Amino acid sequence: MPLDTDPHTDDADLLAAYARGDAGAARLLTVRLTPRAFGQAVRMLGDTGEAEDVAQEAMMRLWRIAPDWRHGEAKVTTWLFRVVANLCTDRLRKRGRGAMPLDAVAEPEDPTPSVEARMQEDARHTALRSALAALPERQRIAVTMRHFEGASNPEIGEALGISTEAVESLTARGKRALAAALKGQAAALGYEEG
Amino acid sequence: MTKPPHRDGDDAWIDGMLDDLARTPVPETPDDLMARVMDDAYGMLPAPGGRSAPDPWWRQVVDGIGGWTAVGGLVAAAATGFVVGLGSLESVGVTTPWTMSYETYYDSPGSLDAFGWDMEEG
Repeated sequence: MPLDTDPHTDDADLLAAYARGDAGAARLLTVRLTPRAFGQAVRMLGDTGEAEDVAQEAMMRLWRIAPDWRHGEAKVTTWLFRVVANLCTDRLRKRGRGAMPLDAVAEPEDPTPSVEARMQEDARHTALRSALAALPERQRIAVTMRHFEGASNPEIGEALGISTEAVESLTARGKRALAAALKGQAAALGYEEG
Repeated sequence: MTKPPHRDGDDAWIDGMLDDLARTPVPETPDDLMARVMDDAYGMLPAPGGRSAPDPWWRQVVDGIGGWTAVGGLVAAAATGFVVGLGSLESVGVTTPWTMSYETYYDSPGSLDAFGWDMEEG
């Protein structure tokens, strides 16, 4: 994989250079941002094939918006995070319409602890992804930016255009909604009630 | 069965689930994905000399002045000049409330108008 040979240049400057027809900027942005988009999509979808499609689509949207990108209005990485999050949510919601309830998941044929534990972990991740997809957009962005990107409250606030206090409230509401959505499935997810 | 990874508060186990998902190892970005994205980028690359969107007007003004540091210096200089200007009004014979001493203020005719004392004394 090619390396980012110019790590100090701002993403927005590279995007402006791309809009002026700079092929080097195209290469640097691809190297810098595609793994990021792919990693986020894998976490949100749990499927590398779908994650590849999402990452490619998100980058395609970036190339398309480049000539109209307004320097200083948003960070490129934040914009991309939102696009990937929304594309993943669309897929998770479509998936959810045909999803099987957790109780209907077949027991593993080989009941060794590692296989069982692995299946339970997969079930937890699947349930969490579905619950995340059901959250309102701003709550989902706030919760996933905090936990997947390690973003601070001020960074999340900047991304969403809200105050740090509002971020705390948004995140807390998001987590309460997740807890409410997953509480009934605690036993199926391998958790004891209470 | 395992207990939810409790921390403080009712929703702490959700933090545990989210952190657990965030720690899931992500596979290396496939080379063919990188190649496809690169192809898209080259395919949609604007013609050389194309223009990116102009910066918003406020950013052009800030850049024209010399950046945010220069704007900060300008604001500080303007505020200092304003305060110095107010203070020097007295030296050119202009009397203002903030250049008067306590006694001067209450002796001035303007201070009596509000209470009607000049009317009472005829």
